[in-house]
Amino acid sequence: MDLKLDDDELNTCVQCGLCLPHCPTFRVTGDESMSPRGRIHLMREVQLHNAPVTPEVVSSFETCVQCRGCEPACPSSVPYGHLMERTRETLADEGIMTPRWQRLGMKPLAHPKLLATGTKFLSVAQRLNLVPKRLGISAEVPFRQAPLEVSGTDVLMFTGCVMDAWQRDVHQAGQTVLEAAGFGVTPTGDLAPCCGALHAHAGLANDTRSLATSMMAALSQAHFADVPIVVDSAGCGAQMKDYGHLLGTAEAEAFSSRVFDISEFLADHLDKLPRGTPIAERVAIQDPCHLRHVQRVHLATRKVLEVFVDDLVELDDDGLCCGAGGAYSIMQPVLAGQIRDRKVEAIDAKSPDLVASSNPGCSMHLGAAGVPTVHPMELVARAIAG
Amino acid sequence: MSVLSSINKNIRDRLAGRGATVTAHAVADERLVEDLRSALAPDRVRMDSVGRSLHAKDASVFKGGVAGPTCYPTSTAEVQAIMRISHHHGRAIVPRGAGTGLAGGAIPLGAPVVIAMTKMNEILEVDIDNRVAWVEPGVVNLDLTRYLTPMGFHFAPDPSSQQVCTIGGNVANNSGGPHCLAYGVTNAHVQAMEVVLPDGSVTMLGGLDAEPAGLDLRGVFIGSEGTLGITTKVAVAITKNRPAVKTLLLSFDSVSDAANTVSGIIAAGIVPAALEVMDHKITVAVENYVNAGYPRDAAAVLLAEVDGMEAGIAIDAGRIEEIGLANGATDVRTAKDDEERALLWKGRKTAFGAIAQLAPDYYLHDTVVPRSELANVLVKVYEIADRHDLVVMNVFHAGDGNLHPLLLFDARDEGVMDRVHAAGGEIVQASLDAGGVLSGEHGVGVEKQGYMGKLFSDDDMDHQDRLRKAFDPTCRANPGKVIPIGHSCADIQALRRVPTGVWG
Amino acid sequence: MNGIVDRGSQLTFGGAVRRFAEEVGSEGPIAVQGARTRWSAGGALKDDGSVRQVNAPTGIVQYKPDEMTIRVGAGTSVADLDQATAEAGQRSALPDRGGTVGGALAVGENDRDVLGRGTVRSAVLQVSYISSEGKIVSGGGPTVKNVSGFDLPRLMVGSLGTLGCLAEVIIRTNPIPPTSQWFRSTADPFDLYDALLAPSAILWDGTATWVHLEGHGADVAAEAARANAMGPIEPVGEPPSPPGPQRWSLTPAGLRSVDTVIDGPFLASIGVGVVWAVTPQPPRGLTQPVQSIHDRMKILFDPTGRLNPGRNPAQK
Repeated sequence: MDLKLDDDELNTCVQCGLCLPHCPTFRVTGDESMSPRGRIHLMREVQLHNAPVTPEVVSSFETCVQCRGCEPACPSSVPYGHLMERTRETLADEGIMTPRWQRLGMKPLAHPKLLATGTKFLSVAQRLNLVPKRLGISAEVPFRQAPLEVSGTDVLMFTGCVMDAWQRDVHQAGQTVLEAAGFGVTPTGDLAPCCGALHAHAGLANDTRSLATSMMAALSQAHFADVPIVVDSAGCGAQMKDYGHLLGTAEAEAFSSRVFDISEFLADHLDKLPRGTPIAERVAIQDPCHLRHVQRVHLATRKVLEVFVDDLVELDDDGLCCGAGGAYSIMQPVLAGQIRDRKVEAIDAKSPDLVASSNPGCSMHLGAAGVPTVHPMELVARAIAG
Repeated sequence: MSVLSSINKNIRDRLAGRGATVTAHAVADERLVEDLRSALAPDRVRMDSVGRSLHAKDASVFKGGVAGPTCYPTSTAEVQAIMRISHHHGRAIVPRGAGTGLAGGAIPLGAPVVIAMTKMNEILEVDIDNRVAWVEPGVVNLDLTRYLTPMGFHFAPDPSSQQVCTIGGNVANNSGGPHCLAYGVTNAHVQAMEVVLPDGSVTMLGGLDAEPAGLDLRGVFIGSEGTLGITTKVAVAITKNRPAVKTLLLSFDSVSDAANTVSGIIAAGIVPAALEVMDHKITVAVENYVNAGYPRDAAAVLLAEVDGMEAGIAIDAGRIEEIGLANGATDVRTAKDDEERALLWKGRKTAFGAIAQLAPDYYLHDTVVPRSELANVLVKVYEIADRHDLVVMNVFHAGDGNLHPLLLFDARDEGVMDRVHAAGGEIVQASLDAGGVLSGEHGVGVEKQGYMGKLFSDDDMDHQDRLRKAFDPTCRANPGKVIPIGHSCADIQALRRVPTGVWG
Repeated sequence: MNGIVDRGSQLTFGGAVRRFAEEVGSEGPIAVQGARTRWSAGGALKDDGSVRQVNAPTGIVQYKPDEMTIRVGAGTSVADLDQATAEAGQRSALPDRGGTVGGALAVGENDRDVLGRGTVRSAVLQVSYISSEGKIVSGGGPTVKNVSGFDLPRLMVGSLGTLGCLAEVIIRTNPIPPTSQWFRSTADPFDLYDALLAPSAILWDGTATWVHLEGHGADVAAEAARANAMGPIEPVGEPPSPPGPQRWSLTPAGLRSVDTVIDGPFLASIGVGVVWAVTPQPPRGLTQPVQSIHDRMKILFDPTGRLNPGRNPAQK
């Protein structure tokens, strides 16, 4: 079957295996078919040698968390994330991957009102103990949240879908910090409801592209023309920075160059922030994969937190994924749990009071295992408030 | 046709002979898999096309492997069961670690049962009093050292693939690495091993006592490339971390000057922890990749590291600098802190990868020459590559004369593989002519089988074969490797005749 | 003449090795006698007068200090080897007990300073021996690093000449450290071993401890100061001689209770596990699978049982 992969990209891999220890699914299974090298081998077998797409092949692709931890480890710079997204796209188009019910599940993400209703429903259901724990949804999906207010147009703050519905207090903290540094903030709210990251992971390419196009249109209106877009969710930021590649237009490239992770943005404006009272608790940094492996701006988180946290500690697991992976923790609960166990072990080894992570998926997934997560911006906001 | 092309062809030819028995084979496979699944959990025995295709290869360029059922044991007892069942079904076995071998040692020939050891990856015990750590073979080399570091120890062998290669693989290949110049290769760092022998029996080889009784079977087993049995538990020696370390970066106008400096350092009675050389092309490639501050204009750089106690290494570092300057070093720099040192080493250890960005494929060779011949052999290596219209880069463990010429190419160019293999053959020959050996750390596998006769006489190889037979009289473990074709265990067709019946 | 063929590599043999091969021949029981310093190791030689006793070639064939390798006839005395290497400021791991290089390898016992000098088995890079069939066989290679083919050199170390008659070997050498000093200490030997970075030897007789420190003068002084802080030390010329001829092989951890295992005086090598004593160590035995390999190895390497009959590497 033609997976519609670029032959050159596919041939970049020399099968050296240096990616293996950086792959969370290989780490917990030791199974070559659950490694980046194995998955690329299978892509080649299917595309170049006409190997049948057996259930085992599909399983190999479906178990990938798409954390892209293999990419920085790859000396040959294989664009693994793109290969996997394209593979899933082709298999989804063929009806082999991403079944209909899962696609339907993605629908509300682009529709804030629908998501808000769903969230209220979920919130009630949770309080009635109707939601299985293994879904990894954080203990407290809020029933109702205070709205975010516009304070200026120096920066656009992307609020997104799930995060806005479930973790608006993080946005609130981010906005507080930006304002403390003297920036007037416009939360994007319903203007740009969803970045399309989850759709891209599931191989739903058309939905992904149309979400990207409408977001660009909304956030590139004349009065926003060159305004930086600050994102406090690592997954969303990574997706928005990839629009240039996704759409292949100069306009998309220009849009992507306006996108910053919130720590990445603030790292250049630290002098403008009041120091407040440093956080006394021990804080461990848990890098979301899309911040570390994809955006590769995880050092900025440290640069910012160092100023406000006295006892900042690193985990000793080379930034291995926590297993959240967007909807992965729901689709592959067993593997996601094993991967999380490994992460929890690495966290426990440092005995932190709090774990700073800037991705809603990671926070919920870890939170469900009892890890006290906090967004870096919540820490900074707390410190500034003194 | 080059020797290496002919090896690949030979594997294919030998495998092609299987046609007539395929159906019977399939029936036999069913029974074999059934037995394996009842001994292990069903989901840890794979016979699907994906499992077989993934385990037919390793990190080498060699094709033609055919895997039988792949098993993922989690205990010694399971490895033993697999060995016995395979034996009962007249089937050979091939052990496999992370699959990073470059000589084709883990490539399954003749559809043997593949035993993937990756799930046996526990660090079982650190025994400080006896200075050993007991580990399962699937433990990753670097994971072990990281685990030991807070206790003040490390595992000395540090191959460039240490972030992924396993201890079991290190044992099978007697792995080295930059720091084995002073500390020795894997064989010097393994005290004892629990192994499952090809007949299914389990025993300890070696021991924690000073001088275990009998022949040094532990020493013989290490580096045997999976042909004598399977390691299921290893007592590796743990080495005290050195309190002080200095890393020097010396630049030269010629590769010969760098090589002469290396000889000069050894002649002066200094055995540094590591002595690594990179030529101009690879230094530039590395610098582009890591930005460690390697000079882009030097014809060669020498990375010299001394470790030990503060006062002594200061003396050694000073003398290395003097010797370098006397041999024409244009610049000598000392890493100012751990961060700079780590960056320099990152550059050295990812050198092969950095090159992969310049061409889609590379062939990494591994030969050893006497230190004093380094400069001469390097000149020949450049000549050989030129003649075959190939780009070559040189990065090597200069301290022990271990060359790693890298030939860059694009496998899609027509006829390029023949040139690559021809050049490789000439490089091996040039190394042997200079009084060197076939391999310093990658092993023989299938890659260098064809060259064994250039280093060893028939009688020599006959005795190597006897050694192997003492462990594996019926050629069950990783057949078709190391010893060249014509010797008993090299002929995988022989397996088709023993013992009976199962082939229908 | 069998075995004298062009090996493609540089390994060719001089007349001495060829004459040795002829002398060993292919028939009749034979033993290489060396200097007979460990003549009783592994049991008594078959004593019916049938065993021919021969001597391996002597002399230094080639010494390359820059390569840290020396090629010598197996009959060369370790003292001669030491003298040759010392002239270039080097030494090897082989212990000098008045014997030959071949003897030291055949027995395989390490030097008292094994922590500093390395093991005998790691020092042997290449072996050439005369097989039971009278052929010259070589294994290993001339370079300090080598993984080409099966490790015949390791097999030969400690095999007591029962698998082949060692003719010529290449040994790895190392620089002699600039400073070398023994100290007598009252500190706990196990604490000393934990505290010191890389002592060449720590010996203990149950009461006193002797520490051998080697390296740059300043490093030795720093280590000595560290040792002194744990209990007063004094420089001494030599450590005591072993209390008896018997050599025990225990684990390093096992030395903590050595006095409950060995009767009478002893001298233990801390961190190593070797103990010299008056009483012999009881036979240690082999596991059944290891015994089977030994049996097969002997039959394959010496089908007629003519090499050093009576000796058994398992009973060293």
